[in-house]
Amino acid sequence: MWAYSFMQNALIAGLIVSTVCGVVSVFVILRRTGFAAHALGHMSLTGASGAVLLGMSSILGQLLLNGIAAIVMGLMGDKVKKNDLAIGVVLTFVLGLGAYFLFLFQNNYAGSVMSILFGNIFAVSYSQIYQLSGLAVLVLAVMLVISRPLIFASIDPSVAESKNVKVRMLSVIFFLVLAVTVSMACQVVGALLVFVLLIIPGAIGVQWGESILGITGISILVANLALVGSLYLSYYFDLPVSFCLTMLLSVSFFAGLLKSSQLYHKIMGSAPTINRSRL
Amino acid sequence: MIICKNLALGYSGAPVTSSFDLEIDDNQWIGIIGKNGAGKSTFLKTILGVIPVLSGELTILSQPAGECNQLISYIPQEREINLADKMSGVSLIAGSYRGWKYGLPLVNKKLKQKVSELIELVGAEGYAHRPFSTLSGGQKKRIYLAQALINQPQLMLLDEPLADLDPHAKQHFIEALQKIHKHQKLGVMIISHDMHEIANHLDAFIHFSSNGVHYCPTIECVKEDTYVGV
Repeated sequence: MWAYSFMQNALIAGLIVSTVCGVVSVFVILRRTGFAAHALGHMSLTGASGAVLLGMSSILGQLLLNGIAAIVMGLMGDKVKKNDLAIGVVLTFVLGLGAYFLFLFQNNYAGSVMSILFGNIFAVSYSQIYQLSGLAVLVLAVMLVISRPLIFASIDPSVAESKNVKVRMLSVIFFLVLAVTVSMACQVVGALLVFVLLIIPGAIGVQWGESILGITGISILVANLALVGSLYLSYYFDLPVSFCLTMLLSVSFFAGLLKSSQLYHKIMGSAPTINRSRL
Repeated sequence: MIICKNLALGYSGAPVTSSFDLEIDDNQWIGIIGKNGAGKSTFLKTILGVIPVLSGELTILSQPAGECNQLISYIPQEREINLADKMSGVSLIAGSYRGWKYGLPLVNKKLKQKVSELIELVGAEGYAHRPFSTLSGGQKKRIYLAQALINQPQLMLLDEPLADLDPHAKQHFIEALQKIHKHQKLGVMIISHDMHEIANHLDAFIHFSSNGVHYCPTIECVKEDTYVGV
């Protein structure tokens, strides 16, 4: 199946996106910004549909709208975690606009609408791969540079602030990174299911990992394996990739949940182990 | 270590204390006493530069407040810890090491050694590698002590570290403080309503009251009703 160029492109684009999502999703979990990630995914719908109406590329519209929303959310700082209502109101407003944009082009661009909502990884072009590669390098480079203070500010915000860590600036940068990642992931899984790549890999990493680096490694591995697996399933069983990806990741997460449950240990007669050598 | 000249504390124009002068020598262990709302926590936050000086001058470790925070460790009364389920206290301590610097937080052999030494110092060897979320309040507070020491501070600020601890956990925490006093060279400012339990280990006291802020070389200088059973 890898002889087809559309499958090769899908694999390359998918691996790029899942690697970036694997890294970013760990911080979405640690910083408890799942709802903000979800909201950015839905806002992508408005950005993409507005851009297509104006004759621009959809990813450009997503980057612009998500970037603005990310700066607002980042400046709200901790309030983002506490004030879900504010995100909900902004999300509703932006989604309302998106619904209007979709209404405007529903007759002529039905394919585009489906592509924005659910992604179309098999239609990824070479130029899109270059775009995704450039954005991935940008996101990973920023994450490398800010990782130490971001980890500190994420796990212990009040003490990080007392050490003069620029907590609010980091919050804005992280939301911008998240906005770019959401725009990238929309190309693969679409605006409706972008949540799956931004939450579940990190959530699975948290289930198994004992350190940030370990959690991130597991998250990247899980996201990449699920992506490759979903391409295989999609090719051989003629199923939508986003459906396969969602099912594979969700089942993996629930399996991990079951593994760590009291019931599992009762049945297996074992207790969870702790690796003392890990930092 | 700390020089206050005609210093007044408060929030955006609303004074919490009247003006006061203080001079605290290097490496002194100071207890901060006073009723709720007297300005004790405000003083610590002003030292950190989180709250600006209302009027007067405040010099910390020869620098203006807020400009030497990397030399100060702060253990707040209330805090939000966002560790993943399986992450341990060791991860919290290591994750705080030079957390203000950019780059990857790689854990090398030297840092592992340092973390182990601090865990031993605070007496947390038995549980430092366990998931942090499973620890008791007293165990968490000793992990916080090790975390506060990881960046080799010259001054440590503790806001009500004994609050919510049972007598047994309090005793363990005080023992850890004693060991730190013996082995580490640093100044400490500690706010507590249980000052009678740690008074023997302190060099002097600062008393916040409606009459002003006063430096007291002994606990006897402070009226008993301000620190016993409050």
